[in-house]
Amino acid sequence: MKGSIETLLRNPLGFLGGPAGDDGIVLSTRLRFARNLAGHRFPGALPPEERSAIGETVEAAVSAGTAPPKGRRTGAAAGRRKKAPGASAGSPDGELLVFEPGAMERIDREVLAERRLVTDELLRSPAGTMLLVRPDETVSITVNGEDHIRLQALRPGFRLAECLGELNRIDDLLAERLDYAFDDKLGYLTASPTNVGTGMRASAMLHLPGLVLSGQIAATVQGIGKLNLSVGGAFGDGTDNRGNLFVISNQSTLGESEEQILERLAAVIRQIVAQERLARAGLIEKDQNAIYDFVGRSYGVLRHSYCLGGAEAVKCLSGVRFGVDAGLFGSLTAARVNELLLAVGSAHLQKRAGRELSASERAARRAALCREMLKNA
Amino acid sequence: MLCEVCHQNEATIHIKEVRNGKIVSHDLCASCAKLKEEQGELGVLGFNLAEVLFKFGKLSLKPDGGEDPSGGGEPGGGEREGSGEAEKVSELPPCPACGWTAKLLCESSRLGCPECYRAFAPLIEGAVERFQRGGFHLGKRPGAAAAGKTARLAEIAKLKRELARLVSREEYEAAAVCRDRINALRASVAGGAEPAEE
Repeated sequence: MKGSIETLLRNPLGFLGGPAGDDGIVLSTRLRFARNLAGHRFPGALPPEERSAIGETVEAAVSAGTAPPKGRRTGAAAGRRKKAPGASAGSPDGELLVFEPGAMERIDREVLAERRLVTDELLRSPAGTMLLVRPDETVSITVNGEDHIRLQALRPGFRLAECLGELNRIDDLLAERLDYAFDDKLGYLTASPTNVGTGMRASAMLHLPGLVLSGQIAATVQGIGKLNLSVGGAFGDGTDNRGNLFVISNQSTLGESEEQILERLAAVIRQIVAQERLARAGLIEKDQNAIYDFVGRSYGVLRHSYCLGGAEAVKCLSGVRFGVDAGLFGSLTAARVNELLLAVGSAHLQKRAGRELSASERAARRAALCREMLKNA
Repeated sequence: MLCEVCHQNEATIHIKEVRNGKIVSHDLCASCAKLKEEQGELGVLGFNLAEVLFKFGKLSLKPDGGEDPSGGGEPGGGEREGSGEAEKVSELPPCPACGWTAKLLCESSRLGCPECYRAFAPLIEGAVERFQRGGFHLGKRPGAAAAGKTARLAEIAKLKRELARLVSREEYEAAAVCRDRINALRASVAGGAEPAEE
């Protein structure tokens, strides 16, 4: 089914939707497998006509695995058709939305990036790429990005094992239909040697205002780096940690099984969550007024501004989220803050307005949206 | 871009670190980066693989271009860098399958095709061993050999275009043959068997 951005926008919470867990510290979990087809150049070295052939091949394999049992089924295929990946619980797997970023409006592409469905790199060179995505956005497949195939599972909260189970099912299904580039020693061969082996990158987005405010974040980050994991911001290419949002992911992909990598990552994340909890409790105990002030000012800016930049909005949403987690707001929910976190993105604002907006127009609309959505907090 | 410390050498190492809760990036030359690393000044968040490969690639190749069995120096051990060794890297022959060069690999940190792993093995293995946790894949493997399936899917895609063309020209007999072929191929891909020969 040809995708439309409007279908995705019906999930106002995007990847941040669903039940909250871990005290709201781990906002989302993402798992990604990089796969390539044997006997073909990697996308970066492919001439355009071969790129589209790869796209058709992968789409055929995906639709053979996810097609709903209806009219098109014929003859011998009917009885043996595989169930859609993860099709249990009546999820609408057959209805993967298909996007061709190269043929889309820039703003629509950026909406996909703000919803974590495509990478910034794909935004820069979208020609010949394809995105297949489940309408609830929990599973997506990017074709002809850095690698021929990138399978992604994205879930709110801290759910590494669930993501792995989901991706394994889809990966196994595609492997029955496609010849993956695989080497006995090096594993799955990827366009960049940083992904070779499992081709797996697992990451979690953490909200760490406690560690930042208490000045412990630099030591934490250094510690994580020594454990062969990497830390970055949640925005830009990982260079922007606005909103005290950090993404922690595995750095190495070879020499350990998928489960071992996830175990190591999960152990570290659990530890950081515990440290963050301690830091928050410490801050509240040590200087309650400073915390009330931090949360109150954040709320004040969001509630009473008429001109609000993207970075400032996210920074203040972090403060408000801290307050929500600490039980300082009566009726404001974490879900509402998450919804705003997505909605204040430049592309989402422009999509909502139905046209391109200048920076000052965006700032005005962002402020109006925050005032409106927080008015009953 | 010049190194932000000495303002003399080209910055070849790009590093991110956290200072006061903010991520800041540094653009350094190899010797200033080494100095900072030794002084423990870098809380490294990420690294530019292209530079790591290039730097370590040089270290893992002996001056005669042969592979160093010891695997080269320590990360940041810039003392073994010689001015001539950079050229040694680019002297590796291009990938016979796709023509990708070692220079392209070093510049982009990307390979051209799966065969490049063989073509640039000395360069890749040296680097991989340093930033991966082992040299052998211990994870999952693709299931039953799907040999030939990619080719069959490509054939289906081609036949679908042909079918549309035939229908638009109202050549229904040929279209029916084409449709049956597509169905047979689809069945074989779904079931794992080879398509029956016509």
